[in-house]
Amino acid sequence: MRQQGDFLQVLQEQGYGMDNLFPSSKGNGVSSHPELTTGTTVFAMKYADGVLVAGDRRATAGNVVMYDRTDKVLEIDRFSVMAIAGVPATAFEMARVLEHSFKYYRRSQLQDLSFEGKLRALSTLLKNNAPAALAGTGTVVPVFAGYDALEGCGKIFFYDILGAEFEAVEYAVSGSGSSTIRGILYYMNRWGTSPVAGINEEDALIFVLRLMTSAAEFDSATGGVDAQAQLYPIVKRISAEGVRTIPADRLTTLFSEKVLS
Amino acid sequence: MYEEPYRWIEAVANRRTYLDDQFTQGNPLIGVSFTQGILLLTFNRGTDKIYEVYDRIALGGMGHPADLEKLRYTLLDMAHVEGFQRSPSDVTASRLMKNGLAPVIKEAFEEIFKAPYITKILLAEVGPTQDRDHLFSINYDGMFEEQREFGVLVASSSIRETLAQEWKRHTPPSSLQAALEVSLRLWGISSLLQTDTPSSDVEEEKGEASSPTTSLSTIPDDEAIASRIRETLSKETLECVLLDRESGKMETYRTLSQAELQPLIPHYFESPQES
Repeated sequence: MRQQGDFLQVLQEQGYGMDNLFPSSKGNGVSSHPELTTGTTVFAMKYADGVLVAGDRRATAGNVVMYDRTDKVLEIDRFSVMAIAGVPATAFEMARVLEHSFKYYRRSQLQDLSFEGKLRALSTLLKNNAPAALAGTGTVVPVFAGYDALEGCGKIFFYDILGAEFEAVEYAVSGSGSSTIRGILYYMNRWGTSPVAGINEEDALIFVLRLMTSAAEFDSATGGVDAQAQLYPIVKRISAEGVRTIPADRLTTLFSEKVLS
Repeated sequence: MYEEPYRWIEAVANRRTYLDDQFTQGNPLIGVSFTQGILLLTFNRGTDKIYEVYDRIALGGMGHPADLEKLRYTLLDMAHVEGFQRSPSDVTASRLMKNGLAPVIKEAFEEIFKAPYITKILLAEVGPTQDRDHLFSINYDGMFEEQREFGVLVASSSIRETLAQEWKRHTPPSSLQAALEVSLRLWGISSLLQTDTPSSDVEEEKGEASSPTTSLSTIPDDEAIASRIRETLSKETLECVLLDRESGKMETYRTLSQAELQPLIPHYFESPQES
């Protein structure tokens, strides 16, 4: 019996196979050289008014920079955002499946999918993708953040490649450049002047730009900020009003005034 | 015994009589295209009749809720699979109607050993500009029709004709308030004509010179229309949906709340004091 409002099942009935989506899931699964291609930096952190999610813009293949204007912070619906690290083809496809799943659920069931339901949906996609992830061709390690209407607060979750979900108390990071950010956030929360979760939006945005610059300093696969090329990270803010993208000119001002000097 | 062509034709004709009768108790539904988007309007007694199908598409239904629900799922599945596999801009009301809905409804209607869908559906698609708005209405037998400016679900084709005549008398609405006014009026007329089928009872006060066809029902007078609307407002819920061209978002569907509607049509909410 079909589960009501499940878009993935509708797709599968129409002949859309997960096997097509995740190419190596028919193989033996485990490659001898798992290459975790997560060359990127994405992170989400809580601050006084909600959650900020940020991602650099660089897409790499090995040591080659493929593209410098990638959007890795994807709006899934009005209240949730997925920041992706890993193989872009699989990650973008997952984002599209999620976006349509949430829309389909809302329209068919005439109610919004709960925040927990959204988390489960992503978890299921990652679980189905496990063989491809283990083979190294479909690794996706996302950070999922959104506004939980039931509890009235912003929340951040991060995943491993097999689909286990973990709630982050203050922040979550993913991608090759993330260890730098994780270290700084840990230090700030432990010995800094005030916990990051309590700072205002202006300070939080400055902090995000500084974090991204630091990550790019130590990770060649992270684009960071390039003011000359007008290249700024994608930063989205999640609050009770929904998801809002921080405009580039605001980042430009903050960067030149508070990061460069 | 239905192998004989005559029997089959007779059975289909019986079906028509049965279905036509079912719809006389139904609530008319009006869709109007105007500058800001498309307004869909009806009254309900608890179960909604207007639903979101896709980013720019909504459906309105008249008839049995279970049948409507089944067809709604057909549309939702088709729209979302298409929107996912191709692109949201490839999902159009025209294709949903022609490839999705019409064959299913027609087949059920002519399959005389099975139950037909007791439902009529209006599909509305809001375009980036008003000339790209589309309204499709489909009858219980699978016949569908496309309209640009307004679409209706009513009990009979003669009421439909009357409304088309009435629509031509109005200047095209250029605001939500105007669209609401004209939709309510069309709803009131069809509601009256549906319940008072012998239209000769209604006095011809307006003297519609421009209605030469004898099959056209006479438009009831303004006071009768207004009092029908007032009376229904006090008993049932006014259900209004706006497909908002100017929403600035991918998704255009918005249910108008009672608080939003009341200031736009205050005279219908007051008690009838004017004579």
